[in-house]
Amino acid sequence: MNAVEIRNLSKNFGAKQALKGLNMTVPQGAIYGFIGENGSGKSTTEKIICGLIHESGGSVKLFGRPHTDGDLRAKVGVLIESPGCYPNYSVWNNMKLQAANLGIKNADAEIVKTLKMVRMEGAAGNKYKNCSLGMKQRVGIAMALLGNPTLLVLDEPINGLDADGMRIMREVLVDLAQNHGVTVVVSSHVLSELEKVATHYGIVRGGKMLCEMTAEELEASCRTYTALQTREMSRTKMLLGCKYSRVEEDEAGYIRVYDMVPAEEIVTYLYEHGILVSEIKTDKIGLEEYYIDLMKEGR
Amino acid sequence: MEKKFERNTFGKRLTTMLKVDFRRMFTMRFLYIMVAVCLVIPILILVMTTMMEGTVSVNPQTGVETVAESFDNAWQLIGTVSSGASEPADPASATAEASVDMLSMCNLNMLYFAVAVLVCVFVADDFRSGYAKNLFTVRAAKTDYVISKTLVCFVGGALMILAFFGGTMLGGAIAGLPFAMEGFDVGNLVMCMLSKLLVVLVFVPIYLTMSVIGKQKLWLSMVLSFMTGMLLFMMIPMLTPLDATIMNVLLCLIGSGLISVGLGAVSNQILKKTSLV
Repeated sequence: MNAVEIRNLSKNFGAKQALKGLNMTVPQGAIYGFIGENGSGKSTTEKIICGLIHESGGSVKLFGRPHTDGDLRAKVGVLIESPGCYPNYSVWNNMKLQAANLGIKNADAEIVKTLKMVRMEGAAGNKYKNCSLGMKQRVGIAMALLGNPTLLVLDEPINGLDADGMRIMREVLVDLAQNHGVTVVVSSHVLSELEKVATHYGIVRGGKMLCEMTAEELEASCRTYTALQTREMSRTKMLLGCKYSRVEEDEAGYIRVYDMVPAEEIVTYLYEHGILVSEIKTDKIGLEEYYIDLMKEGR
Repeated sequence: MEKKFERNTFGKRLTTMLKVDFRRMFTMRFLYIMVAVCLVIPILILVMTTMMEGTVSVNPQTGVETVAESFDNAWQLIGTVSSGASEPADPASATAEASVDMLSMCNLNMLYFAVAVLVCVFVADDFRSGYAKNLFTVRAAKTDYVISKTLVCFVGGALMILAFFGGTMLGGAIAGLPFAMEGFDVGNLVMCMLSKLLVVLVFVPIYLTMSVIGKQKLWLSMVLSFMTGMLLFMMIPMLTPLDATIMNVLLCLIGSGLISVGLGAVSNQILKKTSLV
């Protein structure tokens, strides 16, 4: 059974159609990277999953049950937009309120545990309004983790986090998914971070799911390229451009040849034209480039 | 394999919700400010009007002289005796009494508008802080929220009414006003106060409905609450006179019950059908 199963989901805001028959499948225990441009419908989908807005059409099932099921919803942790805390309350008191809402019996121990997970145990007494952006984000994550959720829905959880915060976030998500069987749906624009944890991906565009794939499938579909540097970069690019179908210069100053050719062939070809290769390597494009390519193709 | 989820009964959900809302209400500084204001206002009104009594002011443009009046009795600040009980023998004085003067409006009944402020702030805070978002994610049933908010706001409103009553007693004593009960007795006064407290339960569901319509827009909740509150405002003196009997209490109890259930259902539907963020 899938943790999240969305079929033909649509949502209209007045005349604007935010979701146009979106389908989404998140297997149990997956870390599902939900990717898309601004306004593509990611947050709207997440809000519908959490029952914060109502769908105009289609069906949403969580663990095989309708997403409106009250018993199931107590096991959904969420961080959408902001952590949702009272500014004049301390971090601890905000956590206490959410713990009470969830009906957690041993609330104090549970709060201490979740605050420790996000390394916020020392700031429990701080007023929420006095916390930094990163601290607030960590509090939001801690609140989402209260009550041992079965499904976590996180919208841009690493916004405002420093390098250490991002590392902690990654560790927490991987631990939850691998050791506790928690399913995580996480949307983020920081694709390099998402790539390090996600086991599944869903790329959404214009309110429709463009493609869904596992991390392995992404790995397989990401093109291999040969990157090289010479002393005559412009001439090299021109020469390679004449022989191969796709040649580009990247931001790091390498010329990339995307055709599936052995590196030796390129070196020999350039040597025959009097160009010595100073550095050459083969690599694969990452999620970010794959995504950008996909978006370009769509246009 | 199907996941098993713990069953949360209505009673359990409501208890936890009430705990949270009571905790929030009683840690909210605004409640104490409102209660303090309700305590101080009657003292100020009674003391100042007594001090100003008999002062003549002249309008420089019209030359009309106005003599400042004060309360004859401290209980006047709580309400008025029903017209049947204090029917004057002289028709001329009846006409004079029927005319609306400022002092008759300046009593506890005005407090029902202050209750609107309390309810609107309390509910709007939920939506503005994002707390409602967290809450409704883990709780699908909106009924718990509506019932809990109604009960907690009723307690808050009742505290304000009681503070005003206390303030009236204090103010009357300070200003040296008589506490003579003409046309009613202690029993009537108790019934009057009970009726007034029950009327809070008529207004709270109205304000709650307006607040869930306004959500994070506090100004909208307030405007709607004042407008709808105004429609029922004129009924309060009739429902809760100083010479109230058990019938008034029963009437208020039935009215508050019906309105709470009816408007509670409306609020519930609004929360179910509209966006919560």
